Amino acid sequence: MTTSPPNDPSSSSSSSSSPFSFPPEYSFPPFFTRQTNLTTHHAQLTKWSSLVLAYCRHYRIFKLSLSGNPTTTTNADAPVGGGGGEGGAEPDTTELFHNRRINRRLSLADIREVIDFLRRDGRAEYVSGAAPSGGGAEGGGGDLVWIYWRTPEEWASLVESWVDATGQRGSVLTVYELVEGEGTRGSEFHGLNQELLLKALNVLVKRGKAQIFGQEDSLGVKFF
Amino acid sequence: MSRKGVGLAAFDRSRLTSAQYASHGSTLRSANAQALENQLAVFRSLLHQFARTHARDIRSNPTFRAQFARMCAAIGVDPLASSNSNTNGGGSGGGGSIWAQLLGRSVNDFYFELAVRVVEVCSETRGENGGLIELRKVRERIMRGRIEGASEITEDDILRAVGTLKPLGSAYSVITVGSKPYIRSVPKELNTDQSAVLEAAQVLGYVSVSMLMVNLKWTRARAQTALEDLMGEGMLWVDKQSDEWEYWSPGFMLENQDVVTETG
Repeated sequence: MTTSPPNDPSSSSSSSSSPFSFPPEYSFPPFFTRQTNLTTHHAQLTKWSSLVLAYCRHYRIFKLSLSGNPTTTTNADAPVGGGGGEGGAEPDTTELFHNRRINRRLSLADIREVIDFLRRDGRAEYVSGAAPSGGGAEGGGGDLVWIYWRTPEEWASLVESWVDATGQRGSVLTVYELVEGEGTRGSEFHGLNQELLLKALNVLVKRGKAQIFGQEDSLGVKFF
Repeated sequence: MSRKGVGLAAFDRSRLTSAQYASHGSTLRSANAQALENQLAVFRSLLHQFARTHARDIRSNPTFRAQFARMCAAIGVDPLASSNSNTNGGGSGGGGSIWAQLLGRSVNDFYFELAVRVVEVCSETRGENGGLIELRKVRERIMRGRIEGASEITEDDILRAVGTLKPLGSAYSVITVGSKPYIRSVPKELNTDQSAVLEAAQVLGYVSVSMLMVNLKWTRARAQTALEDLMGEGMLWVDKQSDEWEYWSPGFMLENQDVVTETG
């Protein structure tokens, strides 16, 4: 999962320009119908999960709207991410579950099943509480889903190794610096959804490796 | 000789001649056997030498390998026979296949390694195809998994590799559906209706109840049953978003990819 961080800047900039190349099953019509055979269904879910993860990784989507609602840009609820960066060129995520070329779409119920499959793997989580733009998102079955092509734990260890590598143990950084600062340019978590970064930082806090302080808009973090 | 002897001495003479004939015959026979044995020994050592000098070619060059295997088949030697070799090995040191001894195991190992890959591919894809996969797909998948510059393998090689799995039981075998060879990795026999459906699905990638009714002159119930059975085996995927439900062969999933990569 955690592969070669150094090549990220090129990959993240090129990823938004080059379209995602869908796997062969995406043009296989029955792929969009829930299979009745249990074994086949399991194979189908496995393929769907890896497709969702690969797709989100490609476009650096952290939160996915199941209805394909375009309001779910990555930085919609991250005031710090004003620049928007890659978030501005958000792809039309409806294509993920809807192949227009063969005119097949995965129904919402089936999508939820895929998400549940991912959740069991710890690779997805419904966005809980108030999603500012998501409307009536509920805890359990809202429209917005975190897609963890990297889990908060994985992000945490990326941040931690970056702190190590740059010798910033013991120093204080703002969350803004971590996400948007020049210092992190070229690291994997540059441009990360702020909410997700906080989840990751909280992992470090729990391990006693960091401490978070400050107000909503000016969160700081100290690494130990 | 032509003159017939008369009297009692004639009996003696004829006994003598036949004894001489017999002894001469046995000398001839033993000389023949000797010569054959020599030839065989020479042949064996030459084959040994040949296999040794060309072991690399046999491993790396598919055409060469195929020719070699064909040559062995022509002279009645199975390169992969893992019998105890006492029958045709003629006691050339017991145990192990004659071939393993001759070829220093390298050719054998090639097929065993390939067989392992075949088993891997089959079990990886069993969930999506119910344990029935086209031989060509297996080859494609194995080739895709290989590193750049690795030796080419042919379908012929894969067939031989599947053959080496025979001692492990009947689970792996090659069956023919329509005109295409498939590798079956579950011990399950297809009935004629099921084979007919799979054969029909090779054409467009899918079949439907009405297609079967029209083309095979089946009743609706019969078509429905065959399709349901194959679905139950996981060998067909259903697409309910078309006008009439279409039953797709999972092999088409990979086939489409070829189209995509060729056009894109």
